[in-house]
Amino acid sequence: MMIELCDSGAIRDGEITRVTAPGFPAVAIARHNGALYVFPDRCPHADESLAEGWIEDGRVVCGVHFAEFELGSGEVHNRPVGCPNLSFFRCEDRDGKVFATLAVEA
Amino acid sequence: MRPVYPRASSYPDFARLVDRDKAQVDRRVFVDKAIYQAELQQIFARAWLFLAHESQIPNPGDFLRTSMGEDDVIVVRQRDKTVKAFLNSCPHRGNRVCMVDAGTRARGFICNYHGWSFGIDGALRGTDGKVYETDETFEKAQIGLTPVAQIDSYKGLIFATFDPQAPSLEDFFGPFTWYLDIMLDNDEGGTEFVGGAIRSIIDCNWKFPAENFVGDILHAFWTHQSGAQAILGGAVDLGKRYDELAFQASVYGHGIESNLDKVGNTRTLGYPELVDYVFDLSEKARDRLGDIRARAIGAISSCTVFPNFSFLPGQNTFRVWHPRGPGKIELVAWTLVNKNAPEHIKELYRKGTMMTFSPGGVFEMDDGENWEYATRVNEGFVTRHQPLHYALGLGTEDAASEMPGHVHRGSLNDANQRLFYTRWAEFMKYDNWTDLQNGETAPPVRRAQAAE
Amino acid sequence: MPDLLNIARPFGDLDRPVDVETEREVTRWLHLEARLLDAERYQEWIDTMIAPDIRYWMPDMDTRRRDDPRGTFRHGESAYFDDSWHELSVRVRRYNEPSAWADNPATRHAHLISNIEVHATDDDGVYAVFSAFTNVRNRNEADQDIVHGRREDVLRRSDGRLKLVRRRIFIVQNILLSKNLNTFF
Ligand code: FES
Ligand code: FES
Ligand SMILES: [Fe+2]
Repeated sequence: MMIELCDSGAIRDGEITRVTAPGFPAVAIARHNGALYVFPDRCPHADESLAEGWIEDGRVVCGVHFAEFELGSGEVHNRPVGCPNLSFFRCEDRDGKVFATLAVEA
Repeated sequence: MRPVYPRASSYPDFARLVDRDKAQVDRRVFVDKAIYQAELQQIFARAWLFLAHESQIPNPGDFLRTSMGEDDVIVVRQRDKTVKAFLNSCPHRGNRVCMVDAGTRARGFICNYHGWSFGIDGALRGTDGKVYETDETFEKAQIGLTPVAQIDSYKGLIFATFDPQAPSLEDFFGPFTWYLDIMLDNDEGGTEFVGGAIRSIIDCNWKFPAENFVGDILHAFWTHQSGAQAILGGAVDLGKRYDELAFQASVYGHGIESNLDKVGNTRTLGYPELVDYVFDLSEKARDRLGDIRARAIGAISSCTVFPNFSFLPGQNTFRVWHPRGPGKIELVAWTLVNKNAPEHIKELYRKGTMMTFSPGGVFEMDDGENWEYATRVNEGFVTRHQPLHYALGLGTEDAASEMPGHVHRGSLNDANQRLFYTRWAEFMKYDNWTDLQNGETAPPVRRAQAAE
Repeated sequence: MPDLLNIARPFGDLDRPVDVETEREVTRWLHLEARLLDAERYQEWIDTMIAPDIRYWMPDMDTRRRDDPRGTFRHGESAYFDDSWHELSVRVRRYNEPSAWADNPATRHAHLISNIEVHATDDDGVYAVFSAFTNVRNRNEADQDIVHGRREDVLRRSDGRLKLVRRRIFIVQNILLSKNLNTFF
């Protein structure tokens, strides 16, 4: 089920924003070259917030141990030991609102 | 967890080891462990100490590791271009968080022990969310690397202090900046360090090299005879107008001795092109600096900024004598050049300092052993009770001089060294900056005003 | 082979070991050099073993992260030696002065050379030589300094004599654990 998260206008290019929808763990929304990405606000490495990281060269960089995840594929680079890839939620921009399928959280 | 900046105390007994009236220094200041600990507290935890040249860390995330006294410190350029400095020690179990000498564009510093991660601003970014985020009492925002109390820079040189009460960097220098500008502001465009630093260990007390650079041109004639012969084919020469022009000047223990022979120091690097460059520079710098200082740019000259930062005009070696116990120092040396100097001139300075003032250099080679044995003989119990003689040039004060600070005639003089140790005694004695900034070493003008 | 003479360029892996005769000749050369340096016969060393176009480089070692692109040293930055003939001869001149106090009284030296590998190059009579060294200096009663390191040398034969044209010296210390370097490596 697609859940409404926020106004898409609130998500600026090159930034990561933390959003909470009632009943679900916090998610992070990023915009890069216009495209929207929604993913858990929890680093697959050690659960730290990814919204406190940043975007660099098309990757989400975790600000804690600097794992880098490719936007889109989620493939991890500069990988801390044991860190899996990042998975994304399906999302779309519907009439200026960001919607995402949070039910299938990885 | 708030930073703890240790308080100063007062050690009048140690201060008395410097005898102004007899112009003598008690040798226990070079070997006594209790005095050394008092130095760490009174001097190195309070004075502004040199950290780095701005040019060493141009971009956000560029960093280097250095020391303030024996405290390990990280210096890092911030995203807003300011510079911050922190104790290089994790607030968790204290492990060193930065293990390397330097690096570029760091994203932060991660402690190897339990993985706590700090931003380049020193704040704790995170640890292990699986453990700490579930601990409700854990307050991430309150934890970070301990910052220095104050940080500032003067014409490219970055300094910091652990004392929140310390006066501004400018007040700490006082009018001594007039002399610092000889090297730091003789050319538009400012200065930079040549890449890299040479580090070495000398088994001596830190004050011997510091007092040597503050005003001991005397030793050059004897200690450096061999180096002068090798490079110049003759003895060190103070120039024709020595009697008229040479001087020592001191403010708050910072001191410079200089002859105004224009290129005496530069000549000892052994490259005629450098001498030509400095002659031209000296001509051009008259507008900026006036005649006296323009003549000092390459002259036979040396300088110490109290307590342990020294340089040689003309030879362009800049160095810190980090204390490592009463009988040991780590010497870190860099080469300073004008940013606008042509590349081949910069290269000649790099080669010149390497050939003269580096561990294999023909001058520095002979300094270390003097300082080591001047320190070591004081292990002898009776020996260390014999005072040392600092009485050359009593009565040479040049009260009429228009130059700032305590000015003395002639550079062959112990005047600056006497004032260096007087400053040392002030730090031992005073627990507050009001007294520290108005004692005997304060600029004479300031003392006269205070007396009125 | 101008590249081999480029002081900033590491040898990398060389795989052209010379014949036994040449290897013995080069080994003897290295041992003779060590003996001259032990005896502080610096003038003889520079006059008979060093080529006029010598490049003699000993960088200082930074501690850097493995992923730091600068690496532990970089040519053109600070170094202990980055000498041509001129600089080397100035250093030798100082040793010749009786007032070279750090050498008077005399220092006792031992230069131990090992791990010698001699490789042929594209030029006849030019050899690329790896070696390792231990340098011990002892002075006065108990002052002792030890420096370990590796060298990459280029030796060239001219007029029947081998001479050193290029030397890269890499020591294992970061902070030099000595007050000076009153020797050559
Ligand atoms: S928590 Fe993100 S990299 Fe470790
Ligand atoms: S000591 Fe640094 S993380 Fe534990
Ligand atoms: Fe000296």
